[in-house]
Order: sequence, then C-alpha cells, then structure tokens
Amino acid sequence: MKMIQPIKIEDIRNFSIIAHIDHGKSTIADRILEITDTVSQREKREQILDNMDLEREKGITIKSKAVRIIYKSLKGGQYVFNLIDTPGHVDFSYEVSRNLAACEGALLVVDAAQGVQAQTISNVQMAMENNLSIIPVINKIDLPTADIEKVSNEIRKIKGLENSPIFLVSAKDGTGIREMLEAVIEYIPHPGGSVKEPLQALIFDSVYNPYQGSIVYIRVVNGLVKPGMKIQTMSNKKNYEVNEVGIFIPKRKSVNQLSVGEVGYLTASFKDVSLTKVGDTITDAERPSSQQLPGYKKVTPVVFCSFYPVENEDYPNLQYALEKLSLNDSSISFIAENSPALGFGFRCGFLGLLHMEIIQERLEREYKIQLIATTPSVLYRVHLKDKKVVEINNPSELPDTNLIDFIEEPFIELTLISPSQFVGGVMELLQDRRGIFKNLEYLDKDRARLLYHLPLNEIMLDFYDRIKSISKGYASIDYHIIGYQSSALIKVEILVNQDVVDNLSFISHKDKAYERARKLVDNLKTAIPHQLFEVPIQARINHKIIARSTVRALKKNVLAKCYGGDITRKRKLLEKQKAGKKRMKRIGKVEIPQEAFMSILKID
Amino acid sequence: MSINKKIGLYIHIPFCLSKCPYCDFFSIVSHDDELKERYVSALINEIEIYGRKIKDMELISIYVGGGTPTVLEGEQLKEILSSCFYNFSVAEKAEITIEVNPGTIDGDKIKTIFRAGVNRISIGGQSFNDRVLKKIGRIHSKEDIMKTYQLARYAGFNNINVDLMFGLPGLSKREFEKTLKELMMLRPEHISLYALTIEQGTPFYEFIESGKARLPSDDFCSKLFVSAIDLFSGNGYEHYEISNFALTGKRCIHNELYWKNESYLGIGAGATSYLDNKRYQNYRDLNQYINLLESGILPIRYQEILPLKERMAETIILKLRMMEGLNKDDFRKKFKVPVEKVFYTPLQTLQEQGLLADNGSNYLLTKKGILLANNVFTEFLD
Ligand SMILES: Nc1nc2c(ncn2[C@@H]2O[C@H](COP(=O)(O)OP(=O)(O)O)[C@@H](O)[C@H]2O)c(=O)[nH]1
Ligand code: SF4
Repeated sequence: MKMIQPIKIEDIRNFSIIAHIDHGKSTIADRILEITDTVSQREKREQILDNMDLEREKGITIKSKAVRIIYKSLKGGQYVFNLIDTPGHVDFSYEVSRNLAACEGALLVVDAAQGVQAQTISNVQMAMENNLSIIPVINKIDLPTADIEKVSNEIRKIKGLENSPIFLVSAKDGTGIREMLEAVIEYIPHPGGSVKEPLQALIFDSVYNPYQGSIVYIRVVNGLVKPGMKIQTMSNKKNYEVNEVGIFIPKRKSVNQLSVGEVGYLTASFKDVSLTKVGDTITDAERPSSQQLPGYKKVTPVVFCSFYPVENEDYPNLQYALEKLSLNDSSISFIAENSPALGFGFRCGFLGLLHMEIIQERLEREYKIQLIATTPSVLYRVHLKDKKVVEINNPSELPDTNLIDFIEEPFIELTLISPSQFVGGVMELLQDRRGIFKNLEYLDKDRARLLYHLPLNEIMLDFYDRIKSISKGYASIDYHIIGYQSSALIKVEILVNQDVVDNLSFISHKDKAYERARKLVDNLKTAIPHQLFEVPIQARINHKIIARSTVRALKKNVLAKCYGGDITRKRKLLEKQKAGKKRMKRIGKVEIPQEAFMSILKID
Repeated sequence: MSINKKIGLYIHIPFCLSKCPYCDFFSIVSHDDELKERYVSALINEIEIYGRKIKDMELISIYVGGGTPTVLEGEQLKEILSSCFYNFSVAEKAEITIEVNPGTIDGDKIKTIFRAGVNRISIGGQSFNDRVLKKIGRIHSKEDIMKTYQLARYAGFNNINVDLMFGLPGLSKREFEKTLKELMMLRPEHISLYALTIEQGTPFYEFIESGKARLPSDDFCSKLFVSAIDLFSGNGYEHYEISNFALTGKRCIHNELYWKNESYLGIGAGATSYLDNKRYQNYRDLNQYINLLESGILPIRYQEILPLKERMAETIILKLRMMEGLNKDDFRKKFKVPVEKVFYTPLQTLQEQGLLADNGSNYLLTKKGILLANNVFTEFLD
C-alpha cells in the first residue's frame, strides 16, 4: 500500500461517471481501478463499485461510494482522483445531483451501439446545473455494431456538448482508457476553496453501520476536518464530535484529516442516517460557516403503497425490517395502518416506483416476509370548499365528494427516446395516459426524442412494461416532477357483498373511471372463490353504481368416495383446505384469498 | 387386544392390467407371475401372524380390493380366503366382497370365487358409455360390464355393487341419464355413485391443467347428482351414505365400519388398519413388504395415535357421510362428552348456513349439505 502524502489542491480531480444503465459505467470504473493499481488482480471482483446483490441484479447502483485513486500522468506528475459513483435511476435523481455537486467534472459514457438515451440527457442537464465539466466518452467501440459517427452526432446534439472532444474507449479491452484519464487531468478543473475558511463539507451519501452509527461520505469544500473536532450539521443545527475521518482506496482507511477539495468519510456520534441527510452541510461547531452549501432539499416520497404481511404473525417482523431498512435509507417513510380486509400493515412512501420495488424485494428476500402490496398511489392535494388543503396518498382518505372543491395531482415531464418506427405506438400510449405533447425532435434519421407532460399517476401501473413491448425494448425513459395541476379526479369505491373495501377503492380520472371499474369487478369475479351464497361486486361513484358482477353461489364440492385406507389422507386434504381458508381475508362474510388481492391490485 | 369386538378385514391386491390415468390408488401393472405368487404367500403369512395376535375379534366382513383383485388366479384368491377362514373367526353371516373389473374375469373364475365363499361382488363399471370409458382410460367396454354382471348373477351372486362415476369429461346429461336407466334395468343391490376426482400427480391432472380435457361445471354436476338421487330413491334404493345407495338390507357392511369409525384390519402392501384408536399403514414397496413377511415380521411402516380432538372430528366427519348422521348419544358414550361441548361453533354456523340439520337425536347433512360436504367437514377441523 502506498503512503498517502499531503496533497496539493491542484493535484486533485473529483469526478463521476454518468451513464445510462448498461452502457458500461461499472466496467469503466473497474478498468480505471486496475490500470492505476488501486486494486490488485487478486482483490479484483467483477464489479467493484456495486456491492449489493440486488443492485447487481437490477443493474443499478443504489448507494454511491467514492474511491480514491492515485494516478501517475503520462506527462509526469501524480494526481489524486476521487471517483464518485452515482445511482443510475430516475428515482434517485436528488442523490445523483448531490453526488455530482461533490465533483468538478463527469465522464459521460454512451454505448457505441445504443447511442444517447433519455437518461443520458437528463444526467447531462443535471451535471450542467452543477457547473461540471463534462467529458463525453463513447464506450464499447469494440462492438461490431458500434456506430461511432452516429453516436458522436447524437452527443453533439446535446446542449452544451456541441464542441466537446469525444473520447473513444472499449472498457472491455482497455482501449482508450489511458487517454480518457489524461483528459480528466486536462479538462476537469481542480477544486477551489480555501483551507483557511471555516469548514464546509457536503454530505453526499451516508450509510448505516451498526457499530459506528452512520458513516458519512463528504466532500470538503472549505477548511478541514479531523478527529476530535466539534462539528455541526447545518440543516438541523445538531452538534457532534468527529470520531474518525478517512478515505476508501477502495478499502476503508482512516487518515489524520480531510482538507479542502478532498473526498472521504467521516464518523461521529450519529445514531442513524436520518440525522445526516444527503445534501446537508457539515461545519465547524466552534467556528461555523455563515453559509450552508446550496442545493439541500428534504426529499419527500412521491409514490405510496401499503405493505401487508401475508401471514398476520409477520407484522412485527415487517415493522422490524422497515426500521432496519430506513436506518440506511432515510427516504423511506412508513406508518402503521389497519385494514379490515388485510389486517395490520404499513403505508409506505418511496422516491419512485423502482425504489418501491427494491424495498419490496428486499423485504421479501432478505427478511423473508411474504407481502401483499396495494396499488401504488401518488400524493394528491385536495382543495376543500372551506379553502383548506389536505394531502392524501390513499384513496380511502379522500374526503366526502361534496366537501371537495378540486383535486390536484403531481405532473411529470417525461423524456422518451425511441427508434422512429415505434414513435407512433408510443405516442398513442402517452395520449391514452393523459399525456400532453410538448415536443418531438429527431436525434438522427432513425431516433426520436419525445417530450410529454403527464400525471405521475399514469405511469404507476403497467407503463414501463407497455413502453417496453411497444418499442421492443428500445425506448428509454426519464422523468422528473414538474409540479401539481388540477385534474378531474374522482373516487371509485368497490363494494363486495355490499361492504366497501378500502383496499380496492381507487382514485381515477373521470374519463377512465368506468373502464377501470369494469375491469376490476370482472377480475374480482374470477378471483373470489364461490361462497355459499351469491356475492355481488359493485363499483360506485358518489353512491351511483357504475359496474357490477356477481360471484355465483357454490353449488357442490367434489363428492368423492371414501374407503378405509383413505381416511387419513382425506382428513389431511380437508385440513389443508381448512388451512387455506384460514389464511383468507374476510370482508364481512366473504372470504377472499390473498392471492386474489395481489392479482387484483396489480390490474390497470 | 382384549375386548371382544366385531371388525372388518381388508385385503389389498396391488395389481392392475393397465393404469387408469385418473387413478391414484396404490397399484402397479405387472405381468410377473412369480411376483404375484410371492405376494400371495406374503399375504397368507400376514394373515397367519395376525391370526395368532388377535384371538378375540370376529370378522363381520372381508373385503378384497385393489388394484384389480381378479388379476390373480381364481385358485390364488381361494387360497387367500381359505387362510382367512382358517386363521380368524369369521362370523356366520359375514359379508365377503371382492372387487371385479369388467373384462378381467370369466365364468370359471367367477364360479371359483363364489365357491371360495365370496358372497358380494363390486363391479368397477364407471360408465355405460363406450366413448367416455375410453376417454377416461378404462380398458373395458359397456358390453364387458354387462357380461361380467350376468356372469356374476349366473354364478349365484345375489349381492352386487356397481360403481358409477359422474362429472366425467364429455359426458352429456342425456348420456348420463341413459346410463342410469340401463343401471336401473340391471337392478344391482348396491350402487356407488361418486364424482371423478382429479388427484395431483395423475396423468389426468395434467390433462386438465393443460386444457386437453375439460371437466363439466359444478352446476351441471350437482344437477346430475340430484337427479340420480331422485331416480334411485324412486326405484327403491336407500341413499344411506353420501355416495352410496342400497336396496333394503343390502348396505355394505364393510364400508359402514369405515364410516362409523370402527375397527378394521388391513393387510397387504400399503393397506391401513384402525385398531384400538391407532392407525397403522403397511409398506407400499412390494419387495419390502414381501421380504419382511418372509422373515416373519409385520410390514408396518408407521402407526399414528390420533389426538382426542382429531379423533372426535374424524368420527363426526365419517358419521356425517352417513345420511342418518351423527347420533348425539353415541358420541357422548364414545367420548364421554356431549358433542356440543366440543364443537358448539361449527355446529351452530353450519346450521345457520343451512348445511346441517338437527333432528333431536342426530345431526345430519341437509340436501344442500350433501352437495357441500367438504365445507361441512372442514368446519370441524382445526
Ligand atoms: N463489448 C463490450 N462490452 C462492454 C464494454 N463495456 C461494458 N461492456 C458490457 O456491457 C454490459 C454492461 O456493463 P456495465 O459496466 O455493467 O454497465 P453499467 O450498468 O453502466 O454499470 C456488461 O455486460 C459489460 O460486460 C465494452 O467496452 N465492450
Ligand atoms: S383398475 Fe382401478 S385400481 Fe387399477 S388403475 Fe384403474 S382405477 Fe386404479
């Protein structure tokens, strides 16, 4: 291991790699670590920066990490590179923006065969907003399908990159990696700031560690920080004493201090990550900075759904698991709720759909809790006639219709890049999803970029899959929330055997209410097993029934023969049936298997 | 085993000529005569061992089932039965039944069986419709059924059961009614009418799952069943158990032992016994079964003693299969506690649902309850 010497600020380069999923971010990072001997061959794992299995499977990085690399320039001189990894999904765009805020530059990686994707563009925009120098890199030039000229043109079409030099690499065989690293020295400025100023350090990530509380990733913008110092998190004015500061090379290593321009970690007596919010500024408690670093935002959930354990006994486990997960991810919110149909569960809030899926999967996989997840919902703003405004994320909480003046829902701006031949189909779907057309632009002769505004709610159900099938998997999507707009929304209640079932009721645009209600009652009809009596299923708006179906009464069981050798087996079969029955949820007198709930709640 | 008791004896013959695709009974297709001979010897060994062990019990029924018992030679069947008479005390009027599959028996064999002491024959007819018989994989035709029936009558049998299935794929209401009418003309002393059950792991299960065959709807089946009950009743048959009908005095003694949850001894590979509140099961593997007996060891694979509550539930379930239902006094005598003390809620719920009736002395299934028997039964289980 090399000695770490005092570093001159001129020799530091802090940068990220931004790329659409699968364009090669991790592979490039691996190559960089190899070429600089940051990791020996023996230590090398396929993809070093990703270290959660789930991330690997989903091909995204959920939590960012920073690695310090010593780079010896071909032109002489030794540099300290801090490579900051960014999450690769829209749900985590705030985190991405804070990661980028810790850098002076970014490598923009584009796949030589796939070209520019929706996310590439939004990432560039975000990097520009943070005043980063961007180095465009075309990766996978070794591919036979690589079309460097076309992809170069696409990159040059992006605002701000019209004249940048583009670097060509193959992360697979290492071609061009050195040149790319030389460009980092040349095109990315070294950090500014002064060591004499009071401490200002940007928190760009924090990870929970059961022994040390949270470990905070910081970028020192001014001043310096070392163990024993009294520090303060500026958003909540809380004071702590620093235990340890250090760097990742890529193993964790403590150092004497982190000074202006440097990137590393810090531990103090933080109990959990909710105290060290990404984007917050750490300062010297005894000589505080007068200013918090810009860009701090409290992240609030935008997508909500309820989780209920399939087995009632799992409720405490679910609570424990959610608590555990939120130690490390302060963006999850959850509050206990109780549904007559599904029992005890939690209403949870997430940064987006993917975030929700990841948490659900982790609960099921790591904590082995079988879950029923209800239909995801957005946060509605309900304006009442008495001028009060209430925010609700659960259809069942919607106030009585005659109290409501109007309802607003969150809208998004959606960027979609697709091969031209699928544009028609995509536009049709967006139209159907209440999309408002904003712009259509051709990146080149066979790829188009679409811009739409539409309600966030419209992409909650079966949207990604539909886009995928319409475009044969070639379209890429990116979106961000642009604000609230009022919509003609109504609540559709579902009644099973005359009882309203909150978990099945939904809020819908009035033009779509009938169709969805129809589908839902039809699905329920097949999902609810025959009972001893006829079960009417109805959908209603304002006391008016708009759709109905009926589960007919059970007429007969299988009347099997019963002989001596059979008695035990028969009893076991009946016991199994009984156990199945016990697991069903009851709505009034009607027994509904949970499987039915799951399929019902997934429908569009 | 001390008390003087009347019990039944079941003898399992685990061989068939071919395997029916819906069948999950324990039977194998074998043409190995030596294996069959060794099996018969093993059965006789087992009979001898039990004969020595249970001195104080009297057999009021012997039932030779399978499988297809008639794949054995007439002489082999005779040997087995003789050994029973020799080793057990068999009641004078004992019911001695053998299952016969149409097309597996000729006049000589049936006479041999009759002379061996068998006094009841159960014919696995299933349907009188050749197309449907083929569809469900039976190897016989309607004509085979008729022939077997006539041979049995001719040999002197005056107690014949015919098994019939409903809810068969592709069987129309008219065709089913035709089968019923023809059955009424034969006028067997006993009829078993039950629904085709689709058991997991059978080829038929796959057919249904894959959509190659379709089962008729519940509605359709319940109509057929109800109309069959009416027809049989009109023709003098007593509907005495969910799926069984008998002319006066011809109830099946053997099956009644099961349904009353009384004791029986089962011998043969895979057979189960219920003695002194214990359930036993023999090994299924033929070689293991035979080898153990050849060394003079009983081939018992496991025994289970049912916890009291389950024994109660089982008694209720079995008795409710009988149309006369569960006698409250019988229950109290057997378990020293009134049934309502243990099963108040299910009894109440089921009556509210119209599935169960209380005639003062007995609880019994209502007409609706007969069709929804499984719903009734599960209520009594934990
Ligand atoms: N042929 C080729 N494949 C590459 C290259 N770089 C990455 N890949 C492959 O592209 C896929 C996605 O790469 P990865 O680094 O995981 O992408 P990430 O999602 O951006 O981190 C993997 O299968 C890599 O092996 C390259 O230069 N050439
Ligand atoms: S004949 Fe009877 S025991 Fe043999 S396979 Fe067919 S149904 Fe099963």
